[in-house]
Amino acid sequence: MALTSSLEIGNNVAKITLAGRLDASTAQQFRDLVDQAAAKKVKAVALLLTNLEYMASAGLRVIVFARQKMGAAVKLYVVGSQPVVQETIEVSGFSQAVTLMPAYDAATIEK
Amino acid sequence: MGPDPLALPGTLDALDPLADFVHAAAAAAGLDKKAAGRLHLAVDEVATNTVTHAYGERGLTGQLYLSAEIAPDVLRIHLEDTGPAYDPTATPPPADLDKPLEERGVGGLGIFLARRNVDAFLYERRGDRNRVTFVVRRPGRPG
Repeated sequence: MALTSSLEIGNNVAKITLAGRLDASTAQQFRDLVDQAAAKKVKAVALLLTNLEYMASAGLRVIVFARQKMGAAVKLYVVGSQPVVQETIEVSGFSQAVTLMPAYDAATIEK
Repeated sequence: MGPDPLALPGTLDALDPLADFVHAAAAAAGLDKKAAGRLHLAVDEVATNTVTHAYGERGLTGQLYLSAEIAPDVLRIHLEDTGPAYDPTATPPPADLDKPLEERGVGGLGIFLARRNVDAFLYERRGDRNRVTFVVRRPGRPG
């Protein structure tokens, strides 16, 4: 099961959708999308993870990269993460750097 | 019965079949989806370390050897490599987990997650191999 990823930009938000397995062999794909999003001067980045079955620390590293690349003014949202993915984010101490939400809330993210 | 032992090339391409192996073993041992996902993370992180540090950065080639052992009370996954002796169970946890991401290193997170996600995390050096064992209790079987 590889990683499927896509980027969509609109309303000043970069939506990155990830599905499948995000591990050290697929993390570069995610990083490339973060790079593209960073070039667009968005106000927020939403990671749509409903169909992401798995995330290793290689994925966390890309989230750190996004945080550093985007600057503090850009909000990072993690949307719909599955239980173990969410737990990985939380126990690694990332919950202060990203906002976790169960479903995409346009009123909050696109405000 | 769990899956048969598996030898994989020591590259990142091993991670996908490794995931399938761990999920097959977890299913055979009756672990639920969450326990299987945690175990997968543990084995994947150690294998990733081996492939990138023990093999990749040293220009060495080698394999990863996986086997599963289903005991009445626990599932054990053994992961072996032929890299230089390295004991991941002795790796200290990251000291900066509660710092803002901008100020943090992310080294050590993988092994931290591996240790956290299993009931026991064991290492031994056997001949020219490192052998890491991941132990997870099977549901409904206390002890």
